[in-house]
Amino acid sequence: MTATRRVIVEPRGRPSLFTRVLVPFVAILGAAAIGALLLAATGHPPGEAYANMLESAFGSDLAIVRTLISATPLILTALAAAVAFRMKIWNIGAEGQLYLGAIAASGVALLGGGTWPAVLAIVGALVAGVIGGAGWAALAAFPRAYLRTDEVITTLMLNFVALYLMNYLIFGSKSFWRDKERLSFPSGRFIPDDTFLPTVWLRLHIGFVIACAVALLLWWLLRSSTWGFDLRVIGDSVPAARYAGMQVPRTIVWVLIVSGAIAGLAGAVLVLGTTHALQPGGLAIGLGYTGIVVAAVSRSNPLTIVPAAILIAGLTNAGTALQILEVPNDIVVLLQGLALLLVAAAEFLLHNRVRIAWRPASTAEEASAA
Amino acid sequence: MNDTVVVLTIAGAIGAGTPLALAALGEILTERAGVMNLGIEGMMLIGGVFGIVGATATGNPWVGLVLGALAAAGMALVHALLAVGLRVSQIVSGLALVIVGTGLSSYLGKIPEPPLTDRQAVANFHDLFPRQLADLPVVGPIVFGHDPIVYVAVALAALVSVYLFRTRPGLALRAVGEDPATADANGIRVSMVRYVHTALGGVFAGIGGAYLTIQLTGIWQNGITAGYGWIAFALVPFSGWRPWRAIAAAYVFGALTNLSFTLQIVGVRVPSQLLAVLPFVLTIVVLITISLRQGSARNLAAPAALSVPYDRERR
Repeated sequence: MTATRRVIVEPRGRPSLFTRVLVPFVAILGAAAIGALLLAATGHPPGEAYANMLESAFGSDLAIVRTLISATPLILTALAAAVAFRMKIWNIGAEGQLYLGAIAASGVALLGGGTWPAVLAIVGALVAGVIGGAGWAALAAFPRAYLRTDEVITTLMLNFVALYLMNYLIFGSKSFWRDKERLSFPSGRFIPDDTFLPTVWLRLHIGFVIACAVALLLWWLLRSSTWGFDLRVIGDSVPAARYAGMQVPRTIVWVLIVSGAIAGLAGAVLVLGTTHALQPGGLAIGLGYTGIVVAAVSRSNPLTIVPAAILIAGLTNAGTALQILEVPNDIVVLLQGLALLLVAAAEFLLHNRVRIAWRPASTAEEASAA
Repeated sequence: MNDTVVVLTIAGAIGAGTPLALAALGEILTERAGVMNLGIEGMMLIGGVFGIVGATATGNPWVGLVLGALAAAGMALVHALLAVGLRVSQIVSGLALVIVGTGLSSYLGKIPEPPLTDRQAVANFHDLFPRQLADLPVVGPIVFGHDPIVYVAVALAALVSVYLFRTRPGLALRAVGEDPATADANGIRVSMVRYVHTALGGVFAGIGGAYLTIQLTGIWQNGITAGYGWIAFALVPFSGWRPWRAIAAAYVFGALTNLSFTLQIVGVRVPSQLLAVLPFVLTIVVLITISLRQGSARNLAAPAALSVPYDRERR
């Protein structure tokens, strides 16, 4: 009679603050360790690479500014994902909503820049971005709310529709957005200088402040407003929400539109603050998808999203430091993915205790897979 | 006659559709078990880079294919561990897989000396049938003018179809995807079924990715799949989670990916973006149509437990 092993998973109570801080920290160290193994195995000393990465992400004022600039759209796409996740609506369309926001914002900036008062052109472009993103989300929102069409697939598909729309405007046509002087090397037309977002510290533009303000506002809305309460109730139980008299389909439409609006704002901020033109190369860098994972590892908490996005954005900028060492900078994308995977996994361990118990075969039940 | 645009387009569509079909068949198996794996693009990239490493190192494309399949299966198991074992959101885990796959494949592609990106075409597959058959008018290029993997994909579609709808394990698989609690009560090991079919999805996606680099492109480049993984993902709801529909649709979507060149030859100028966007638009249209007619189209709907983690304690 042999003893069998049984993996027991039991829920923990509310984890202590110490555990809650420790577990994600260990997960990130774990990602770094896996990355170090890969670096070492491929002939690059990990210590040197990591030191350079840290230096180039957070080592100087300029580095910090670069990191915060990269974090700005990521904070917004993560917030866009988080607001929908609160209701267990999966908007994975932030990517496409961001493109539409960028198209609308650059359109208004090109139209009004240099002729309208600068403030009007900038605010107009930001509002256009918000409307563009919200409108794109609405395409998936109404079928989801009234026909129960799976929003995961429709929002995902719309990302590609938006991507090809943007590519068409720049590569496939002589559109308003395209720089007509450089037809052989397609590029978006640059928006006039007076529509660039004003800077607040060195090169850091006001977009970062806007993103933090949206995070604060959303945190307050989700925590203290009736709307935030409705979201949580509908997310937990649709029948209960209906019984309480909540307008479930209408709330679904609104939450997706708000989510899309924030993603659209990300696109507007990216165009007005960073790329200064509708540049598919600078816009289609997966910010929508990374934002979803950032939102998930932050447990959809708007205030946690800000530091998480800054950390992930820091990794993006760390890539440049590696080229000096002749380490392929693709490792930073891998590290981002690993960190997000491990933090997501750590989330489970935060709320469940896993232990292995031995018991005689006679009484062993079928071991449930961990 | 065999050089006419129509014949060439159809023959080309079958080639271009094959990696899509392979990945989509794998995703059908995964999703039928109730696991959504958004990471196809990442798994195909890993399959693609390992495929070309295997093929160049040994000069044998089959070795590349197997290596690509195993590597992608490893990725899929990571997803299974998170999504099935740790009940992490499947969407989050799948998207993280895309990020990992993109970074890892690009990194690995630059490690060998010379880097994979600098290498020329590798040993690829030869046509399965003799020249005489492939030279037959019309049917030659379309039916006989392909490498073995094209026929493997068709055979796999048949196998998956029979497996799903005519065998006991297939029935168990569908039960797990529709109602895991009931399946569990009937003695089906829900987690095991989900692990196995998620890994199988990885194997299929890895073969698709390896076929893409070994045969269709012959080279490795960063992000070489260029959205193939996402089109394969779209094929699954588009086909109503059915293997035969999926492979047929894969050929249509495959045609769309290179139709703009063909159309240019005959003098019709259609923006390539318009054709490229069609698979995604059509998938949205099909989904909305199905949700409009809940009653008659119910057997084309998603598995009921798709992307819902199963927690035995809470059934």
